[in-house]
Amino acid sequence: MTYLRTSRSASGLVLLVLVSIVALIPRSAATDARVPLLDLEAYRGKVVVVDFWASWCEPCRRSFPWLDAMQRKYGEDGLVVIGVNEDNASEDAAAFLKAVPVSFRIVRDEDGALAREFDLLAMPSSYVIGRDGELAIRHLGFKSAKLGEYEETLRHLLEPGMAGNDSAR
Amino acid sequence: MSARTAKRAFVVTFVMMLGTACTSMGVEPWERDVLAKDRMKLVTDSVEAGLDDHIYFSKEASSGGRGFGGGGCGCN
Amino acid sequence: MSKKTTGNIAKGLATATCTLLGTAAAAPVSAEEQPEWEFDTALLFYGEDAGRVQDLSLNIFARRLFADERILSVGLAVDSLTGATPSGAVPQNEVQTFTRPSGESVYSVGSGELPLDDTFLDTRYALTAGWQQPLGRDYKASAGVSFSTEYDYTHIGTNFGLSRDFNKRNTTVSLGLALARDELDPVGGAPVPLSAMADVGMISGRDSSTSKDVADLLLGVTQVINERLLVQFNYSLSTASGYLNDPYKILSIVDPISGEAVGRTPAPGLEGPLHEYRFESRPDKRTKHSLFGQGKYWLGGKVLDLSYRFMTDDWGIDSHTLDTKLNLPMGETSYLEPHVRLYTQSEADFYRVSLLDGEAMPLFASADYRLGSFNAVTAGLKYGWQTGSGHDVAVRLEYYRQDGDIPSDQLTGNQDSASLYPGLNAVIFNISYGFGK
Repeated sequence: MTYLRTSRSASGLVLLVLVSIVALIPRSAATDARVPLLDLEAYRGKVVVVDFWASWCEPCRRSFPWLDAMQRKYGEDGLVVIGVNEDNASEDAAAFLKAVPVSFRIVRDEDGALAREFDLLAMPSSYVIGRDGELAIRHLGFKSAKLGEYEETLRHLLEPGMAGNDSAR
Repeated sequence: MSARTAKRAFVVTFVMMLGTACTSMGVEPWERDVLAKDRMKLVTDSVEAGLDDHIYFSKEASSGGRGFGGGGCGCN
Repeated sequence: MSKKTTGNIAKGLATATCTLLGTAAAAPVSAEEQPEWEFDTALLFYGEDAGRVQDLSLNIFARRLFADERILSVGLAVDSLTGATPSGAVPQNEVQTFTRPSGESVYSVGSGELPLDDTFLDTRYALTAGWQQPLGRDYKASAGVSFSTEYDYTHIGTNFGLSRDFNKRNTTVSLGLALARDELDPVGGAPVPLSAMADVGMISGRDSSTSKDVADLLLGVTQVINERLLVQFNYSLSTASGYLNDPYKILSIVDPISGEAVGRTPAPGLEGPLHEYRFESRPDKRTKHSLFGQGKYWLGGKVLDLSYRFMTDDWGIDSHTLDTKLNLPMGETSYLEPHVRLYTQSEADFYRVSLLDGEAMPLFASADYRLGSFNAVTAGLKYGWQTGSGHDVAVRLEYYRQDGDIPSDQLTGNQDSASLYPGLNAVIFNISYGFGK
């Protein structure tokens, strides 16, 4: 009898210890319902270009005016360009934007968390997400020779929801 | 271990270290802000480097050695 | 970003970059135009003391940037050289007379003076051109040509380069190849090696022109260590074959006991040398190996540049070069850059201070101090700034000094290394101006 009581209280004690240990383990962020770094869900139904840039990235001086032109040209057809800035100092980003002003949304990614999430392999890079929320294409670098190709990708993705759906445009 | 074997072992270890180290060393593409600066280029003034090379080539028995490529912002 | 989108991105990445569209492209919106031309110009003055070499050099280097990292570069350099270099003969306590390389007249140096050969006034023109472009995402290729000419020397060369990036551009492996053909047309022709310096008008048996071929191979690795440190390691191989002598350099023949130059009498009615001299002789092949390492380190705004080069060749010369610069920003637009370079080399196997009277003539011999053993130091300061219009200006002042290190077994009789070794003291002054960047 004594044995049964002891074993029950012993196992109770062990259980208590185990539960406290589990309760005290720091939870990794992934298991929490957290605020997303970039809320792309809000843009579902639109074509989103997520472009990673920095003030020290020379090709970005060429890509920005082009991205801005794309935003203006296809904005009403549902194109959203988001520039994710990787500068450590916001003054550098501000100076760049003063020299190369754009009308699209700029997001700061100071600690590189967004870059890591997107598995950024090169600067600059742009990730084009279709109206269905799926990644359609990733461009590494910005090549002047491929401008036609880049624009054609956007037109192709924008087509389903375009105003008037005039594919002959 | 003879001196020759020790020397070989050192060279092999060093090369292996270099090989394995190179695959894990470095920075992420978005962390190259300092490396992108002009002052961090391996040769900051190529005209000056050429002038100096020519002087030392004329006055000494050695020349060259410097290379090209690498570093910088790694863009495009 | 929702977990679903993250997961989709991960899946999408595997195939997305391969998506290509076959439809005809609409007229593309062009990217912003870049400044097309970049220029770097420099004016350099190099001056040695005691009537020796002075060089004034003007350099212009231009780069034309095309779309997508394609670059055309062109360079022009004009050098005006004056002054004299040590001929290799040793100073004596009496007047020495030498026949000029042209064989048409003589020149003399006083007692105790270092014999200098002043046939060295000329203007040199050099031209370079190169093209560089990426090949795909990971490779960069370059090719170029070089040409230079002066009154007794013509150079023509070509170079190729290929580099490949690894590990998200943290590692770059480079391969370089340079080939050159140089033609020498020495004044008076190329003297027969180890032949005696003759009287005026008695030059014979000489080739009017000679040539040499040079091939250089470079293998390099550049590695990003961390955000602030970049290193490079290179191995170079250089082979030269053909006429490698300096046609104007000589050796004195000295008495094996006293170390004094052996006298001679010119032929009756002719002017000529009053002592015995022989023209130098070098092997017709040379192979050099170099190992080079460099690091650039960012110290919170300052940049430290440290490099080391080891060179060894089959002429028996070993050299070590240690070079360091510290770039110190001064305010927003200017900088100060102190520079120190330490150099040491050991002598060539066939380097001789002088030849001994009565000994069997060696196969190769040269008294050219540039093949001897010496230590050298360069110390300098550079100050640079950016003008209001964004142009880069810099001024640099450096002092270069060579001190001989002649081993005592090279000395004969009364010879003493202090008066024998020419040594060198030179000033380098350089103004640079860059614009278009």
